Amino acid sequence: MGKVMLEVRNLTTKYITRFKEDIYAVDHVSLKIEEGKSLGIAGESGCGKSTLALSLMGYYFPPLYYTSGDIIIDGKNISGMDPDVVRKSILGKEVAYIPQAAMNALNPTQKVIRFIEDVIHVHEPQKSKKEIYEFARDRFEQLGLPANVLEKYPVELSGGMKQRTVIAISVILGPKVLIADEPSSALDVTSQKMVIKMLRDLMDSGMIKAMIFITHELPLLYNVTDDIMVMYAGQIFEKAPAHEAVFDPLHPYSQGLMGSIIVPEAGLRDVKLTAIPGTPPNLKNPPSGCRFAPRCKYVKPICKVTSVGMVHVGEDRMYRCVMSEEEIRELQQ
Amino acid sequence: MKHLLQQVFRSPKFLVGFVIFSLLLLFVLIYPLFVPDNPLGIIGQGTFFEPGIYVNAYDVIGTDPRTLMLDNAAANRIASKLSPADRTAMQEYLVAVGVDEEDIELEDTEKLLDLWEAYYDPAARPAGFTAAQRRYYGRLTNNLFGILSLESVVIAAENPETGVMEQIDEVKQSDYVNVNKVANVRWLPLGTDNFGRDVLTQLVSATKTSLQIGLVAGSIATAIGLTLGLIAGYVGGWLDDIIMFITNLFTVIPGIVLLILISFSIGQENRGAVTVAVVIGITSWVWTARAVRAQVVSLRNRDHVNLSKLSGHSVAHIIVNDILPYIASYVIMALILQISSGILAEAGLSILGLGPKTTEVPTLGLMMNWALIYSAHVTNKWWAWVPVIVTIASISFSLNLMNTGLDQVFNPALRED
Amino acid sequence: MKGYSKYFGGKLLWFSVTFVAAFLLNFILPRLMPGDPVAVITQRVTTGMTSQAGVQKVYEEYANLFGTNKPMYEQFFLYVRNVFRGDLGVSFSQFPRPVADILRSSIWWTVALQFPAIILGWIIGNTLGALAAYLKGGFDKMLLPISIFISNLPAFGLAIVMLVIFGVDLGWFPTSGGYGFDLIPNMSWQFVWSVIVHYQLPFWTIVLIAIGGQAIGMRSMAIYELNADYVKYARFLGIKDRKTIMYVFRNAMLPQITGLALSVGTMVGGNLVAEVIFSYPGLGQTILTGVMGQDYPLISATTLVITLMVLIATFVIEILYGFIDPRVKAAQAD
Ligand SMILES: Nc1ncnc2c1ncn2[C@@H]1O[C@H](COP(=O)(O)OP(=O)(O)OP(=O)(O)O)[C@@H](O)[C@H]1O
Ligand SMILES: [Mg+2]
Repeated sequence: MGKVMLEVRNLTTKYITRFKEDIYAVDHVSLKIEEGKSLGIAGESGCGKSTLALSLMGYYFPPLYYTSGDIIIDGKNISGMDPDVVRKSILGKEVAYIPQAAMNALNPTQKVIRFIEDVIHVHEPQKSKKEIYEFARDRFEQLGLPANVLEKYPVELSGGMKQRTVIAISVILGPKVLIADEPSSALDVTSQKMVIKMLRDLMDSGMIKAMIFITHELPLLYNVTDDIMVMYAGQIFEKAPAHEAVFDPLHPYSQGLMGSIIVPEAGLRDVKLTAIPGTPPNLKNPPSGCRFAPRCKYVKPICKVTSVGMVHVGEDRMYRCVMSEEEIRELQQ
Repeated sequence: MKHLLQQVFRSPKFLVGFVIFSLLLLFVLIYPLFVPDNPLGIIGQGTFFEPGIYVNAYDVIGTDPRTLMLDNAAANRIASKLSPADRTAMQEYLVAVGVDEEDIELEDTEKLLDLWEAYYDPAARPAGFTAAQRRYYGRLTNNLFGILSLESVVIAAENPETGVMEQIDEVKQSDYVNVNKVANVRWLPLGTDNFGRDVLTQLVSATKTSLQIGLVAGSIATAIGLTLGLIAGYVGGWLDDIIMFITNLFTVIPGIVLLILISFSIGQENRGAVTVAVVIGITSWVWTARAVRAQVVSLRNRDHVNLSKLSGHSVAHIIVNDILPYIASYVIMALILQISSGILAEAGLSILGLGPKTTEVPTLGLMMNWALIYSAHVTNKWWAWVPVIVTIASISFSLNLMNTGLDQVFNPALRED
Repeated sequence: MKGYSKYFGGKLLWFSVTFVAAFLLNFILPRLMPGDPVAVITQRVTTGMTSQAGVQKVYEEYANLFGTNKPMYEQFFLYVRNVFRGDLGVSFSQFPRPVADILRSSIWWTVALQFPAIILGWIIGNTLGALAAYLKGGFDKMLLPISIFISNLPAFGLAIVMLVIFGVDLGWFPTSGGYGFDLIPNMSWQFVWSVIVHYQLPFWTIVLIAIGGQAIGMRSMAIYELNADYVKYARFLGIKDRKTIMYVFRNAMLPQITGLALSVGTMVGGNLVAEVIFSYPGLGQTILTGVMGQDYPLISATTLVITLMVLIATFVIEILYGFIDPRVKAAQAD
């Protein structure tokens, strides 16, 4: 077993809306990633994947608030640290993030290099512009990006180039853990491949030590990550090695999710055919008992009353259901 | 649809705007039922009568008097007779004869009179007063104590046969008549204007006309803007180029310039309220066209539109069924704003002397224009202009509130505030 | 620099085209309308004249003088030639004073009043709006209703309210004119002081109008930008809030500049009406005199001058914008 790069224990965070309602979008989430490993997170839109990504960095601002739990990065517990210390010593350096909307992640009126200067200055204020430029140029070339990107404004970059630029900026300070929130969903197939390759290279070269990859396109996860975690309504519903998670899911929700396909026909490319009827619960007041119960085809009376714990299967699998593995397999037949 | 309406009415901003606007509208519709007078009818001989209840003095004499013994009647009578100038003059005299200025309260009539009785001496000749001033004080004193005496006033009329004045009635100081028994009483809540017309009646009629102008101008502007925007956005190509060229031209050329030119050329005689509204409408469609076009362009390639195209529907069918429903909320909001700006445009034009002709119906702008020409605002005749501005502001405020409310319902992304 | 000159060239071309179009409209619109301006002036001059032939003769004389008896295209070329010579015709109402002369004495009042006021109002309004978006809380709760109130009041309404409060009730400032009515324009201190005193009320009124409009726009623009993805990303890379705020304000300001360019015409129009309220001797007053005197050449020339003024202002703003927004250069470069 390798060194643990990121460990999260019972992390809970919430949004407070302007009507003062609490939305627990990350609810008692625990996870662990070892050095050199990557973890994929999948789930329907609105299940809290992005919120989890943001919560993992230990730096909160309204409307997102920390409630409880621990975040341990490379042995250092960052929850409860002074926000300004987190900002200076953790963000970008220990853990970095690639936002979901990378298309709009760069300030439109700033050249790429100016932004990089701003980022580096947070941690190394003494560095001169020339040094930063040379450093950034080397880093970009190393990642297969042309150096002239640095002198451009975001509007001058194509979608794929912008996405890769954002990735390059995210890792410019050499973070140990990288969290990529749907880094490829808005791109065409070629750009998607380049982005995935770039992320893989980052891992392979050891530039980053561990990665979390969020997406709702499961096939993608299967190719990229070692483990897959399925989220539903702010909770983890299943965690398994990538192969098992895709081809042999245990939780009824995961099974439904794997059944969701993306029709690759031109023109109708974005139309999703969901195999799971119903809609996810409103997180303002989630159902008591199992949160998936209202949509589950195997639902039992007990599901609606008792809260459901995790069932562990072997070393590296677990799922959240009242049924045992055998029961599930039987029903599946 | 029902659900949407519910949501709209749950928006506090929309609701407040809607209530203000409805109250205004209700008043405008109901008032004429009670006061069916001609809004431009001249009732006052003279300018700018103050707001108040006007009781016919002739009818008061003919009405059966009742006797009421009220203690403060005399004091009130004097208080209303003593002008501020008189009071200051009295103060000057009192100070001159040695009363401490601190002890004199100009507003307290009773005290002032007591002091006056104690210190005023018609025979004395305090230093610093001219003979004319001394005579003025004499007259003032006689008047004041004349009022205090218990004499009554005699009403006399000429006997048509003898030509001699004969007493026909006597009015005592303690005589009262019930206002309800007086044949002619007119309440002028907002007084009269420079021509002697009832301001409130005029204001109600003007509000109605201005709202109509706003509605006509807004509908025309929205219709033109919507049509052009739809064609430019959906059909595209050279039509789009031409329409956008024209739209851009009229964005830069100030609308007011066109308004002035056209209104002026039409001539005062030909400018009815409707004409003015039409002119405003055809010069203010630019923003609607731009915005509708932008929305249509973004809709043009949506899946449902593509599907409709594939199914072989006609352009008209697609526009009506697949485009219009998506921009309907926007168009309604644009219409509301256009109504409000149409009303303001009419007012601006009228102030420049380019409003509707003045002989048919009043408008808010015309009322403003008259008030300004006759300097109501610099001579403290507030009732001639404040209500007009308040009305204009409440119309535009309520319409804007409704618009903001709608915006928040239809574009939840903008709800951040 | 190549990017800029391309941008500049494009704008210049566009504004020339717009000006030509405006010029044409200015010529055609009044001629499309019913009504006969020459008949109006004839009527004025001949009141009391009984001989029908005499009236007819006067009419022809004026038709000749103003060229209305010539074919349309000939009139147009005459008009173009005259305008380019600076000859805007002769005023009806102040006959025989040339229109150019009347405009020369009023245009500078308007320019000197409106443009500084609009610019100052724009700056203050944007600052307040940005602060409101950033500070939220009490400041925002106070500023927003005030701005909404002001921007719902038409320009002339605010002008009257200001005039009554500060001119009539408090008596701090004179209520009408551009200088004391007993003075003759000259360079004496007394005159200059009088101009300054008369300037205040109209100036601050226009400033206030501009603030009301701008503050609301800037506030929502800044709120929108504050929630933009790039702000979040920058924060999660450890960049200080103070720095991200600078990104936000800069980006929120840029659309406000474009907005100003697009709305300067509307603003000037509204302010002309406000000028009338203060009897300020600018173009608003000129229009009013023209309307009262049925002075056709004067109105036509005034509208042309206003259009030109607005076009130039818009042009200048857009050129400045080209220098401020880096994307303009970038977009033109390729
Ligand atoms: N700023 C916010 N304020 C309040 N609630 C929010 C906010 N952002 C997200 N939420 C709520 O939190 C829940 C989780 O949102 P999140 O964006 O994390 O979902 P997601 O899984 O990333 O979805 P997607 O696949 O669409 O990106 C949703 O129910 C959403 O409504
Ligand atoms: Mg997300």
